[in-house]
Amino acid sequence: MRRYPVLAALGVLAAAMLFPFVIVTFNAFKTPAEYSSGQPLSPPHGLNLDGIITFWTRVDFGEKLWNSFMISGSVAVLAVVLSVLNAYALGIGRVRGRLSILVVFLVANTLPQEALVYPLYYLAKEAGLYDSKLAIIIIFTVIQAAFGTYLLSAVLGQFPREILEAARMDGAGRFTALWRIVVPISRPTLSVLVIFFFIWTWNEFFLPLIFLISNDNQTVPVALGVLQGEREMDATTSSASALLGIVPAVAFFLIFQRTLTRGVTVGAIK
Amino acid sequence: MIKLRCAAALAAGALALAACGSGAQEQPSASPGQPRTLKLWHYESADGAMGKAWDAAIKKFESTHPGVTVKFEAKGFEQIQKTASMVLNSDQAPDIMEYNKGNATAGLLSKQGLLTDLSEEAGKRGWDKLLSASLATTAKYDDRGIMGSGKWYGVPNYGEYVMVYYNKEMFEKNGVTVPTTFEEFTAALDKFAKAGITPISNAGAEYPAQQIFYQLALSKASRAWIDSYELYKGKVDFHGPEFTYAADTLADWVKKGYIAKNSAGIKAEDMAVAFMAGKFPIMVSGSWWYGRLQTQLKKFDWGTFLWPGNQFAPGSSGNIWVVPEKSANKDLAYDFIDITMSKEIQNLLGNSGGVPVAADPAAITDAKSKELIDNFNKLTSQDALAFYPDWPAPGYYDVLVAGVQSLINGSKPPAKVLDEIAQPYNDNLADLGN
Repeated sequence: MRRYPVLAALGVLAAAMLFPFVIVTFNAFKTPAEYSSGQPLSPPHGLNLDGIITFWTRVDFGEKLWNSFMISGSVAVLAVVLSVLNAYALGIGRVRGRLSILVVFLVANTLPQEALVYPLYYLAKEAGLYDSKLAIIIIFTVIQAAFGTYLLSAVLGQFPREILEAARMDGAGRFTALWRIVVPISRPTLSVLVIFFFIWTWNEFFLPLIFLISNDNQTVPVALGVLQGEREMDATTSSASALLGIVPAVAFFLIFQRTLTRGVTVGAIK
Repeated sequence: MIKLRCAAALAAGALALAACGSGAQEQPSASPGQPRTLKLWHYESADGAMGKAWDAAIKKFESTHPGVTVKFEAKGFEQIQKTASMVLNSDQAPDIMEYNKGNATAGLLSKQGLLTDLSEEAGKRGWDKLLSASLATTAKYDDRGIMGSGKWYGVPNYGEYVMVYYNKEMFEKNGVTVPTTFEEFTAALDKFAKAGITPISNAGAEYPAQQIFYQLALSKASRAWIDSYELYKGKVDFHGPEFTYAADTLADWVKKGYIAKNSAGIKAEDMAVAFMAGKFPIMVSGSWWYGRLQTQLKKFDWGTFLWPGNQFAPGSSGNIWVVPEKSANKDLAYDFIDITMSKEIQNLLGNSGGVPVAADPAAITDAKSKELIDNFNKLTSQDALAFYPDWPAPGYYDVLVAGVQSLINGSKPPAKVLDEIAQPYNDNLADLGN
């Protein structure tokens, strides 16, 4: 009997969450004239794909998808590798001053990106990496790894010592212990991190906007910004682009849904 | 499962390597005989008037410059706003780009030495003669980066101005004719209000409301007052007749129901959509809506007129072409600007719903476009473009939005609102050392 109020509340919440998506979907399929003469909230009269096609060809969306995928994929993997190496030294190796190192990582994590823009811009320019995807991959690998290190150090700090002892008895070196013991055992945590890093990097807007100047380097969120004019707003094409922009994220979520939900529980170490 | 994950990791690693390889960019070469590339950026929509005209200009440029290809990239307004100074300071700068006119944008970049001085070209190619005084204001910047005098740093291709859009059907149904004097205009507003219709579609959360406020101030203003206010050529009294009249009248119009009280929270897009849906007979806004109304508004017949009784109207040149100092192909960039100023391209801009600055009026065939351009030419021939109220100080846009919102809400008396908008203006003057 107690289930129904909860279900009703969840239903209301889901409706509230889905409402903006419904509006976007409605307007994505309207003609501009239909949008202007009617209510933004009314459903479209027919399926008009012009908005989506215009947007796709205008920004060469396939290329943007590939760019986003390449950048987010590289960052996710590299950042996790870097985090594991750092966390192995901090959490299991227990290097001296690890607490202060972690505090530095945490502070670096809370820095607003706006504060980083100019230093990063000059560094990238000096290194000849301005306007290249590599610059964004390096920057986000470091930014994400700062968080990853912080999180993984805490997880590995709790790593059962006995297993490592046993491994050492069997003649495993430090690297073997990391690769054969620590990584396989913490794999659930690591795969969650990969997915988080991928989604976070995918959604990044500000730094890619600054660093990816050429259109052929741009990512999906930056490409969505192309439609915003100074005064005019093309509501139907914007809706179409928003729809195209969220589809990959939703697809990604559906594919990795199981890993993500498992990730919620790995924080609680048995 | 494990194998699959390893494969995924390898694939991602390979991606990272692929990304490394594509970092390098070929540099444009300036030696003669070599194929050259003109890197061009703008942020106008492809099917708008400027988009169409500039597309034609690119084709014409390529046909008159064999061996040169134009590498055009469509940019977003925000990206250019946020990154221009960084891009122009690097070797990734384009050879020519569209940029925002104004002290805080083009003025600032010119002060930083990032833009090429176009004075010589403007004289040699006659751009200075094609552009009337109030249009050239936004093309010239002095050493402090303040517009109105000094060297040419940009060339505008199009203009914009604020007018009154009206719904012909609603006018007819309520027995209202197009007003020619301010008295007739208020009488018309009154007639609608008495009939239970709020006459003006307004948006207090964005620029439209402050442009109505500015129109009212302009009805009492002289060119000297505008130059004082916009170009710091004299002192502006915020409690003088111009602004006092504007603030009092706007507050009064809300009381009389000419402007809806709830319009304080409405955005420009919604204002235009409400007008297009036939909910209001009048919309006071800029020429930037014109093309959209032409193509999308089929529901009723509409027309425009200049704010009745005013000599001046808010308006200016549009955004400008600038040539970055680091451009490797300045000669090509000048040629391209010259093509965009040619009659052919200017006429196309006019026939596509834009406001050309140097078109041949006889070549504008579309009746609606002709009305738009005739009104604009009337303004420029009288030197009557009064710029926009938010130009004088950085961040002044938000000050005016807040001020005019309090007038619409009636939350503050007009005199107090004027004090509030005077403060940041005078602070900015002090910063400039005036």
